Amino acid sequence: MDNENNRRSFLVVSGMTILATALPVRAQPRPVQFGLTPVFLTNDVELLSKLSSYLSRAVGHEVQLVQRRTYEEITTLLLSGQLDAAWICGFPFAQYLQKLSIVAVPLWRHKPLYQSYLIVPNNRDVTSIDDLRGDIHAFSDPNSNSGYLVTAALLAERKLRPDQFFKKTIFTYGHRNVVRAVASGLAQSGSVDGYVWDVMSQLEPDLTVKTKIIRKSEELGFPPVACLRSQSTSENVRLIQTALLEMKSDPEGQDVLKLLKLDGFETEPESLYNAIVVKMELVRGLGT
Amino acid sequence: MSQFPFGAFGRSWPLSLKVPFLVAALMLIISATISDRVLSRLGQTQEVQLQQLASTYLDGLSSSMLPSVVRDDVWEVFDILDQSRNQYEGVNVHWTIVANQNGSIVASSDPVQFPSQSDIPQKFVSRFQTDQFMNIDKVGGTALLHRVLTYQGKQIGQIVAEIDIGKLLAERNSVFWTLIATNSLLTLLLALAGFALVRRMLRPVTVLAEHFETSTQSAMAAIEPDVIAKQSAEFRKLFNRFNELALAIGERETLAIQLAEEEKVASLGRLASGMAHEINNPLGGMFNALDALKNHGTNLDVRSRSIRLIDNGLRGIRDLVRSTLTSYRADRSHRNLTANDLDDLRLLIKPEARERGLHLQWNVTSFETSAIGAVPVRDAVLNLLINACRASPEGREVGFDACMEGEVFIAEISDSGPGLPSNILEYIERKGAGSAPLDNRSGLGLWIVKRLCDEMNGTLSIVKSNETGTIIRLQVSSKILEKRDAA
Repeated sequence: MDNENNRRSFLVVSGMTILATALPVRAQPRPVQFGLTPVFLTNDVELLSKLSSYLSRAVGHEVQLVQRRTYEEITTLLLSGQLDAAWICGFPFAQYLQKLSIVAVPLWRHKPLYQSYLIVPNNRDVTSIDDLRGDIHAFSDPNSNSGYLVTAALLAERKLRPDQFFKKTIFTYGHRNVVRAVASGLAQSGSVDGYVWDVMSQLEPDLTVKTKIIRKSEELGFPPVACLRSQSTSENVRLIQTALLEMKSDPEGQDVLKLLKLDGFETEPESLYNAIVVKMELVRGLGT
Repeated sequence: MSQFPFGAFGRSWPLSLKVPFLVAALMLIISATISDRVLSRLGQTQEVQLQQLASTYLDGLSSSMLPSVVRDDVWEVFDILDQSRNQYEGVNVHWTIVANQNGSIVASSDPVQFPSQSDIPQKFVSRFQTDQFMNIDKVGGTALLHRVLTYQGKQIGQIVAEIDIGKLLAERNSVFWTLIATNSLLTLLLALAGFALVRRMLRPVTVLAEHFETSTQSAMAAIEPDVIAKQSAEFRKLFNRFNELALAIGERETLAIQLAEEEKVASLGRLASGMAHEINNPLGGMFNALDALKNHGTNLDVRSRSIRLIDNGLRGIRDLVRSTLTSYRADRSHRNLTANDLDDLRLLIKPEARERGLHLQWNVTSFETSAIGAVPVRDAVLNLLINACRASPEGREVGFDACMEGEVFIAEISDSGPGLPSNILEYIERKGAGSAPLDNRSGLGLWIVKRLCDEMNGTLSIVKSNETGTIIRLQVSSKILEKRDAA
């Protein structure tokens, strides 16, 4: 896993270097580039439209929403300066803590916290992670905190890597896909974002009812909106931050929050992600 | 070989039933053939459609999942399969398995039944030959599809899918029963229509047949003018021809009867002449005896000899008169045949035989009184004997053999003639020939015999007929007569 992360870091830094030397100085203000990761529930067209509309109005000029399939792609774009800000996961933020800065953190149930769930098919009689040995296990993304790191850390506490503990691991690149994989029986267990699972249980109960939670992690820092530390004081970042913080008091912003089932955005200290940093170190410490 | 396609079955059926039945049978054959062709064609079309649909499905899956199979990406393969449920809704996929080159399942649309990393069941793979991609199970209502996945010329995996073809089979079944019901109904309607039509068309033929049928019992009756008037031109013409025929036959029969009467009178004349001759012979002797008595009556020897001669002569005359009375009395009421009747026949034919110089061979054995009517037998035999006498050359023999075999009276009359011509032979042995005489006058006696024979339900047959002579046999059963009398 360490090797993988090192490789990613190398790619990100290389990308940044190339882009920094190749890109010409912008003559005109470009649209605000806002990155989104699959931390979202779905690629809901209505949500994206409303979010784009709200941010553009609040910022005062066009905001372009940039989506990619994996966390890594968005993180790379952010680190390379191609995005002004991005809604990333706590794990990439912890990985690049030195380079990234918090713009705002969503509030879920009035707290900037969420949990990771271990889920299994509803008809399966298991109670702990130890019962999942030999499973085909579904992860969301190798750079996801709730959809990978939490479970990997749990196994690291047992001096095991996921590939040693599970028969096979699959990455579905979406928390909703983890639920689909477990519900269909493709995977015998899965690691999923607790926020996503809870919201899905309201929106798609037919799917979540086929799964059950056997373990909830401790509360961890909710995936933040981050920017390059070097750009934290830029106008665009400031405008985005203001827009996000004021979302809960704006009718259009409230619509967006309603769709996201969130209560609003707040500024939080970086220490919110210390627990994730610890888990990351724990996993890295195990080696590959 | 039978003329009717169903052999003896239906041979006795009337034409008005046979023809519609044949029409219905032909309709059934045509209907079955058409149904078979339609179903066969439908089956082929469905199979082609199914193959195209299955091919499209497999092509779509193959192209979209090749990179994922190369990477052994479980989720991607599953996701493609899951999304394809909606995309290929018309294919009715039960399940789809995607395996890698080792036969290990990468992912399936039903992971519970076919989990990832388990081996693909060989029972599915073994059902396919190399160039085959679809295997249909009509009983189960499913089709198994198979596609080998190749990437850059190398086999990297395979897809096996089971699709539901129940709807197609149900559609085929529905077409089958619709065809059966429609064709059965049409066949029934056409058979009924054919029956009614043919029966209507054959009604004039039935009328004609009925008239011909009654002609065997009595004289041929003409068809009534009002019946003729109702017919089509074709049948009107036919009926008129029939009436002309009936009239001609009636006239011919009347003529024949007249001829027969004339013949009878002629026979009576000949008989009377014969009788006169028979009486005249002893009469001459008796007159001679009377003259002897007149002249030499005192002589005892002459007297007694004359009286004996007169007595013999008178007895002979008395016997002749008696037998003639018995034969030709007006009373034709039933009387059983006795041995005396046969003796009378000998007496009656003797003058004819003597006149022609013929020798009579008379042989009657084991004969007692029989329930057979005496008069028709005597008439028939007498006629046959007269014919035999006429056919035999002078100085030759005419024979009569009679006996009873159980209930059957058998008489054989033989002559020494040159044999019978073929038309008379055919006439004698033809059943029902007594309804009309032969076409020349010489056959009248024979016609009478045939008529009498028919009346008695007897049979007339030829035992022998060649250049050395002819033997005709008459057989009459008392049982048949009893039955007829009882009726």
